[in-house]
Amino acid sequence: MKKNLLLNGINSSKRSVLIILLTVFTSCIAFAQTRQISGKVISSDNESALAGVTVKIKGTSNGVATDANGSFNISAPSNATLVFTYVGYVPQEAIVGKSNVMNIRLAPDMNTLTEIAVVAIGYGTAKKSDLTGAVSSVSAATIAKVPVTSLDQALQGRAAGVQVTSNDASPGGNITVLIRGVGSLATNGNGPLYVVDGFPLDNGGINNINPNDIASIDVLKDASATAIYGIRAANGVVIVTTKKGKKGTAQVSVDAYTAFQSKPKEYDVLNAQQFATLYNTIAADPKQSVALPAFPTYSDPSSLHNVNWQDLVYRSGLTQNYSVAIRGGSDKVQASTSLGYYDQKGIVLGSYFKRVTFGNNTDYQPTNWLKSSSSIKYTFQDSQNPYGSQLINGGSLVQLTELPPTLDGGNKLTYLPSDGNGNFGFYNPKFTEISSYSNPLYTINNNRSYGLNNFLLANTSLEAQIISGLKIKSNIGINTSNFAGSYFSPEDDRAFNQYPGSQITNAFYSQHINSTFNWLWENTLSYDKTFGKHTINFLAGGSEQKTFWNGMGGSGIPPNGVIRDLAQVSNLKLDTNTPAGSNTGNGSNIYDLQSYFGRLTYNYDDRYILTGTVRRDGSSKFDESNYYGTFPSGAIAWKAKQESFLKNVNWLSDLKFRGSYGEVGNQGAILPFQYQELFSTGLPASANGGGVDNLGYPFNKLYQNGTAEIQPANIKLKWETDYQTDIGADAAFLNGDLTITADWYNRRSKDFLLSIAVPAQTGFNYLTQNIGSIDNKGFEFAANYNHNVSKDFQYGVSLTVATVNNKLTSVNSGASYIQNFGGLNVPGDGWATFSETHIGQPVGEFYGYKSLGIFQSQTQIDALNAAAVAKHGAGSVYQHPNTQPGDRYFADTNGDGIVDANDQVSLGSPLPKFYGGFDLSATYKAFDFNAYFYGVYGNKIFNFQESVLESFQNRSFVGVENVSTDYYNNYWTPSRPSTVYARAQANDDVEGNNVASSAYVENGSFLKLKTFTVGYTLPHSLLQSINVSKVRLYVSTQNLFTITSYKGLDPEIGIQGGNPTQNGIDTGTYPSSKYYTIGLDVTF
Amino acid sequence: MKMQKKYIILIALLAVLIIPLACKKSFLHQTNTFSSTVGSTFNKPQDVVALVNSIYDTYQNSDFMKKSMWYYANFLTHDWYNNGNDVVWNNYTIPSTFGALSTFWNDSYIGIARANAALPIIATAKAKGVIDQALADRLTGEAYFLRGMTYYYLAGTFGGVPLELDTSTTEPTTGLLPRSTQDQVFTQIVSDMKQAETLLLSKTTLPSGDLGRATKGAAYAYEGSAQMWLKNYAAALAAFNNSEITNNYHLLPKFVDVHEFDHQNNDESLFEVQFDLPAGGTQDWNGSWQPPGGELGWIDSFGWPSEITGQGYDYGSPALEYSYQNGDTRKYATILGPGDTIVSPGIIAQWGGIKGYPNVTGGYAAYLAAPNTDVTDKNRYTDGHGNIINSNGTAAYPWYGTDGTARSGYTDAKKWRDPNLTGGSGPQKLFGSQNQILMRLAEVILSRAECKIRLGDNAGALADIALVRNRAFGGTAPLVFQDGLQVDGTPAPVITDPMQMVLSEYRHELTAEYSLMYLLRRAGIDAATNKPYDEEFIHKVNHVAGAGPDNNPNPIIYPFGPTSDGKTHGVTYNDIPTGHDLLPIPQAAIGLNPNLKQNPNY
Repeated sequence: MKKNLLLNGINSSKRSVLIILLTVFTSCIAFAQTRQISGKVISSDNESALAGVTVKIKGTSNGVATDANGSFNISAPSNATLVFTYVGYVPQEAIVGKSNVMNIRLAPDMNTLTEIAVVAIGYGTAKKSDLTGAVSSVSAATIAKVPVTSLDQALQGRAAGVQVTSNDASPGGNITVLIRGVGSLATNGNGPLYVVDGFPLDNGGINNINPNDIASIDVLKDASATAIYGIRAANGVVIVTTKKGKKGTAQVSVDAYTAFQSKPKEYDVLNAQQFATLYNTIAADPKQSVALPAFPTYSDPSSLHNVNWQDLVYRSGLTQNYSVAIRGGSDKVQASTSLGYYDQKGIVLGSYFKRVTFGNNTDYQPTNWLKSSSSIKYTFQDSQNPYGSQLINGGSLVQLTELPPTLDGGNKLTYLPSDGNGNFGFYNPKFTEISSYSNPLYTINNNRSYGLNNFLLANTSLEAQIISGLKIKSNIGINTSNFAGSYFSPEDDRAFNQYPGSQITNAFYSQHINSTFNWLWENTLSYDKTFGKHTINFLAGGSEQKTFWNGMGGSGIPPNGVIRDLAQVSNLKLDTNTPAGSNTGNGSNIYDLQSYFGRLTYNYDDRYILTGTVRRDGSSKFDESNYYGTFPSGAIAWKAKQESFLKNVNWLSDLKFRGSYGEVGNQGAILPFQYQELFSTGLPASANGGGVDNLGYPFNKLYQNGTAEIQPANIKLKWETDYQTDIGADAAFLNGDLTITADWYNRRSKDFLLSIAVPAQTGFNYLTQNIGSIDNKGFEFAANYNHNVSKDFQYGVSLTVATVNNKLTSVNSGASYIQNFGGLNVPGDGWATFSETHIGQPVGEFYGYKSLGIFQSQTQIDALNAAAVAKHGAGSVYQHPNTQPGDRYFADTNGDGIVDANDQVSLGSPLPKFYGGFDLSATYKAFDFNAYFYGVYGNKIFNFQESVLESFQNRSFVGVENVSTDYYNNYWTPSRPSTVYARAQANDDVEGNNVASSAYVENGSFLKLKTFTVGYTLPHSLLQSINVSKVRLYVSTQNLFTITSYKGLDPEIGIQGGNPTQNGIDTGTYPSSKYYTIGLDVTF
Repeated sequence: MKMQKKYIILIALLAVLIIPLACKKSFLHQTNTFSSTVGSTFNKPQDVVALVNSIYDTYQNSDFMKKSMWYYANFLTHDWYNNGNDVVWNNYTIPSTFGALSTFWNDSYIGIARANAALPIIATAKAKGVIDQALADRLTGEAYFLRGMTYYYLAGTFGGVPLELDTSTTEPTTGLLPRSTQDQVFTQIVSDMKQAETLLLSKTTLPSGDLGRATKGAAYAYEGSAQMWLKNYAAALAAFNNSEITNNYHLLPKFVDVHEFDHQNNDESLFEVQFDLPAGGTQDWNGSWQPPGGELGWIDSFGWPSEITGQGYDYGSPALEYSYQNGDTRKYATILGPGDTIVSPGIIAQWGGIKGYPNVTGGYAAYLAAPNTDVTDKNRYTDGHGNIINSNGTAAYPWYGTDGTARSGYTDAKKWRDPNLTGGSGPQKLFGSQNQILMRLAEVILSRAECKIRLGDNAGALADIALVRNRAFGGTAPLVFQDGLQVDGTPAPVITDPMQMVLSEYRHELTAEYSLMYLLRRAGIDAATNKPYDEEFIHKVNHVAGAGPDNNPNPIIYPFGPTSDGKTHGVTYNDIPTGHDLLPIPQAAIGLNPNLKQNPNY
């Protein structure tokens, strides 16, 4: 019993009458002068055949539909006009001319507010016009505009309220995505939940998805939209839908591009002659508080051989990307298969990122009530960064500006970094001022590492329609990810062989593997029905998701340069015990979620829409008494345009108001078992393992185990709850050419989770707690204007702007602020603290001394010291006993007459006042143009790198380092007073001129032309003969220019290591540079 | 109708599929496979012993012992100086942000919390029959001892500190207690030590496998010292005179042996922090003090001359060497100046003295290869007569360091005893496994002498001091107390005041260990001058009129050493500023606990 869905609900007798009428009608027309017209309808964007397009004769109800190949046959009078309509495409009319063949190209309807735009809302879709929540969508067409490595990059500036920052430009480098601000201080506590084809990626891995495979990205922002994802929804939900096969002829598309990446901008540092001159000047300076010894090698600067380390280590990069896809299907089966290959040679010597992706989506509809959808995505990644990238990851890149610019006086065989015969220069091991440096070329050429990652995401669903509108669906999926990596550095005895007594660096080998397996099972029941003016959409379901994590690894000294076997290394150290979610550690963990959810939408007369959503999540991360959390939300929308008083207002094409309130959760920041009282037993230290505090202790020179409580019980530990309010409006003007969306939101994140520094008096340095509250408020605005000037010329402008007003509102631990913590350990004296988040201030506020410039005279210092003595007694000084003219002058902000730790103050926020994107696009005949700008305004950057470039001391170490040319030319001397640069010294640990201070805080606002693209589509006529439906060639550039007053190389600086307390600090890491891309899209 | 059947089947099927999702709460139960819970631990005696072992482990930390306790005990007296990143100690400008202070503070409180938490767990284990009464007593005694000892060094360094004594493990303290007074802390230490005295084993009954654990004798020694901080000299004297000390511990015949590598846990030692080089462990940077390295000491080779190790982060004051009275065998066992040869029997046996170290042989070989041109190696590694050097530099060419930065040329000989170490040269052996003595009998005897002086028994005091001095002088000490040269190079006057005798003996016996500054500050106020003894003493032994601050254009002239070339070589002459005989409470601790008040004058 086949059912015609269109005629569903019409009883059989009526159907018979209808068929007879239609037959009669068509036969009547036949009396007129009719001809048999045939043709094909294709989509103008990708030349694919469109099946099911309605072809009607204008003014009649006479019509047919195109078949699977997009072909149609219709009898029509010679003077008739045919109307072609298809969901998601602009209707088109064509007059029947003399030809009996009419091939039609339908243009996709770009108007995002039109009735038919459909967005994914989690466990279903909704018409854009019927949305009650705040959702931003990015289409495949938009994503295709920019050649990006990972899809989160494609979101930058495209969705209002979604802040995307490239933290560094290393191949496959990390991206920060923040939706509506920072709600948690925890590392990685602010990332959105990614849902790929219905599968929530609980363990990250979004960069495994090939951007070419994406059909759309829908960003759920407010609680009404996200609540269906409950405890994982507080940071927003990004729903990614990949391309599926469509009914119609198979379409093959090939996308290929090659991108040349220019060498990055470099810091201007001293050459060998300048460096040695500065060295000699300081060594001869009697005012130095720590004497710098003379170095005979530097005695004649003109004789030195220069080494430009940045030139040697940076290079131009090359990226190649190939993507092939076949998509199509019959009435019952539609499939899409794609293969992608991405290969980037990075701009740092030895760095690369390779990715192979394979994907298949198959939809099978054996009967009209039963449907299955399956999706498989596999990704292989291989990436290398032999010289490191970020400081936080132990990257050495920061050294490039520090290394002395000559190797003279070191390796007796060559003064060159590499002489081509296997000799690499090294610094004189006996001269302590430079002996701790190593030659990057040696490191990159001799150290070996690899890191391979396999990722598989597969899910399948079965959906049955029980009665009209009532569907039941079961979805099962798995996601597994495996990583294997190793690192080897050979023994280095080169210096020892030439300089007896010098140190030999042991060989080192490390290896680690880990795997994550995650399964998901979800069942849903949905009911969609319209009764007169009432429409109901109902969804209910249950879900279980479970994650298994295993990891293992270690390191030690291999017996020689060949053996890479942990069993044979000496001094074996096992990976430190970092549980699930990290890339290292030994052990295994299981974590799971059990959830129930429901959503009811009621629509009255297409004017008033109410949505209620609730999810109840059970999470194994919490104590039994706190397993379950319930997350409700509600929203209302008023489609004002549908009201009688606006229906005929022509200048207003559409108008809708929305309001929502809801509660959503966040538990992503913490690892399992943080609620338990736990004990750790230290190794007996039989080999140097187990961390600096191994708990064991020797008695009579024999180690015994030690056991200690490492975490007290905290059964009150629970998820973070976000209370979110959203008020928004959507409007369209100029017949839908101009659309505007505006939202005001208020997000109060309460009880955010954090492993926070606590008073050691508790017996612990860090405890995971529900710490406090953070507020984020702001506006989001998106406008889009598209205009078809003529058939040959169309253009569009779109703009997104968002503001975030962020502040910490409470801390439960008793402290009034939270200091920066975590992996970023900037190696400068006085930089241990660079941010402090105080109650009432934005998260990650910079913190340090306030610089008042440079001391110009001893009189000035003496007066301040005298005042200090008057207040604090003999021996007191204003700033430092060694302070001299030329040293930095810091403010006594608390007015006690001396400058000490209590005088440190907030120095500005890394969070922008607003940020957004601006997109210009146009097509003229066969040409298309796109320019895309991204900008932030009102944020500050803490330019740590500048303090490095002003320090001749290799800070926190013994030795010297290179400085900037600007500093060299302008540093303070008695005869060349400066108000910007302090005097040159060999040991700033004493004077502290380069400590964290306002001298290094800069305006971080910028506007970047992210991409500029010109494309040309070959004429259709040219391609028909070779059976190719579309060929587009394009050239594109990225990062062509940046408008900014920032002194560093690139003002786009994100949250280091995903930790909001170390945001916006420029550590001079992997710089971005310009890309020049040539690409080709072919469809046939 | 056929279809309807299909629907029914389908509905039933899916309903069955949904139902299991709704029922199993146990789905969320997960067992922790990473760490132990209390239920899965402490079911065996060794588990309970391990709980107490981890309290001892608090002290196996370089920042804790070296950069906090040792720096405080020695850099503040200006017998010793730093030439690393910690030069701020050289002029008493230690900032409250100095990193090691946080480590010291934090790890102390973590150790105290471990001791607190151990008390109820031991009691439970005893009640459950996991351990017997004897073991429970010993372990409880160790927990009290270690808590008391940790408070001892905290209060000695910072003054009054918060007294965290809560033993609950399920309702952890908020950690927001304010500071108690110094006297309250020492009163608590006395109480803890008294508990320990009754519960701990005597040295005589301690099994050899437990060598290194706290004993009754150690508890009496720390109780005595704590009583002295409280000015309870009679009680202190009683503690020092307890037979657990007087019967069970004995001065070694030769002073030089006290710190020898092959004399660890010797008969004089009351409590020492134990170290060990584990099998397969290395002593290079990989086996270092930093995570994830092992737990070796960071105190030995780092202070040796940079000419031997490439490092040289501690150096001595010539004033110390010159202050030793003629005939005092402690001198070269404590400090080596230019031209002095090493006296450690262990080092001589291993290397033949200084001449055996790789950098010395390498440098000497380099000189031989180019005797006429290699002036650097000639000055550094020959004795001036073409022979390989076997002294700590020479008078003509002191070892000021290979990098030419400020060092006096004087070296700590007490920490130059581990024959396994070579420092940062060659196959690096930097990190030592030698135990560190915190309390030994000579200190107890000198403290006892101070008690007797305070109680008016000068004769008794002199008898005690003589015990220590006789050993120092290799038999019988001269009756006249007279230091060698003063800081200005003139002969020192005879000391007649018993209190000054004790202070001088504290210095000459205990400098470069973990005691001196603590003992000087413990002495309190000198009633005669109404000034702190420590300020006065440090001024007296390091300061002369006109010496002025560092970089003085007219430095004091020693025959050799830092001023032989008219430069001060890192020796500073400033007085200890008022209040800086205490260290500042770490800024980070104040940040986390706003109830903590900083010490005055910081």
